[in-house]
Amino acid sequence: MGEITLRPYEVSDIDEFLEWASDEEVIRLSRLERFNSREDALCYFKEVVIPHPCYRAICLDGRPIGFIFFEPGSGKTKCRGLIGYALGAKYWGQGITTKAVKILTSAVFKEFPEIERVEAFVDVENKASARVLEKAGFQKEGILRKWIVLNGKTTDVSMFGLLSTDPVVGTN
Amino acid sequence: MEGTSPVESSKNEYSNLSLRPLDVSDIDDFMVWATDEKVTRFCTWEPYTNKEDGLNFIKNTVLPHPWFRAICLDNRPIGAISVTSNSGNDRCRGELGYVLASNYWGKGIVTRAVKMVADTIFEEWPHLERLEALVDVENVGSQKVLEKAGFSREGVLRKYCVLKGKSRDMVMFSLLSIDPRPQI
Repeated sequence: MGEITLRPYEVSDIDEFLEWASDEEVIRLSRLERFNSREDALCYFKEVVIPHPCYRAICLDGRPIGFIFFEPGSGKTKCRGLIGYALGAKYWGQGITTKAVKILTSAVFKEFPEIERVEAFVDVENKASARVLEKAGFQKEGILRKWIVLNGKTTDVSMFGLLSTDPVVGTN
Repeated sequence: MEGTSPVESSKNEYSNLSLRPLDVSDIDDFMVWATDEKVTRFCTWEPYTNKEDGLNFIKNTVLPHPWFRAICLDNRPIGAISVTSNSGNDRCRGELGYVLASNYWGKGIVTRAVKMVADTIFEEWPHLERLEALVDVENVGSQKVLEKAGFSREGVLRKYCVLKGKSRDMVMFSLLSIDPRPQI
């Protein structure tokens, strides 16, 4: 496998973003809104992805092939933050997302000392995404029934949590 | 706010228990539980120290709240119970919260109030499929309330919330609109 790095998105990444953002498999298993047009996707990209302080392109040998983001809480939830990710389907099964999650979570704990917990939730049917989190050292804490609407349907999700004090899984 | 008619308890045991909106005229009863540090131990807020803060809470938080009720004994408020609503993809769930004056603890009053809420909220909010509640791992009394009211314990979310400056592990409970409900 080539080198996996994270970097902020640039406007010039739009074509690669669109390539996997319109991938049916990626959309089915993620929270990504289905983009009805290139304009929708471009809008989302410019208004959400680019300005977001914690959105990162997952890059393979410098080329963006997916994204990962971190959303910190505030007030009584300021000790925790949520991560989400999506990867182009043709890159699945190689440990790329796991690596990206490990890079991001260790950066988060280093740069945000108030964050004691990083969490992620996945559709109970999304076994591959659950494996990513387990390999990255997250603990499955429970199944939250009918927790959120994904692709128009209320969905049961597995909630995973990683604490700044949890053992660090070896980065490989 | 819809559905503001009082919800009354049907069995004899709790026939004088009811839920109704809380108003500024209830301020003195509100201050009884809101100033008690036994009550606020597992709340994110500190005990109230003056009536004006209490009145501001009622005006700014209670009155505009999507669903907030006083728990009443013979129509006098002895606590409160509320359900928050969410929007967008989170609209299928609402969070339950409750508080009761400490001298009324241990009599099954909150369990009864929770059951009353469960019996009306899913009708009032047809988009709601999940009622959830988060309880501090050390708040065993509150966990028992939810278990007796028919909620399922789904897991412990570690260092989930900040309470009085410290991150706390919280137990997640839920009741779905389709779950069986224990008899009131």
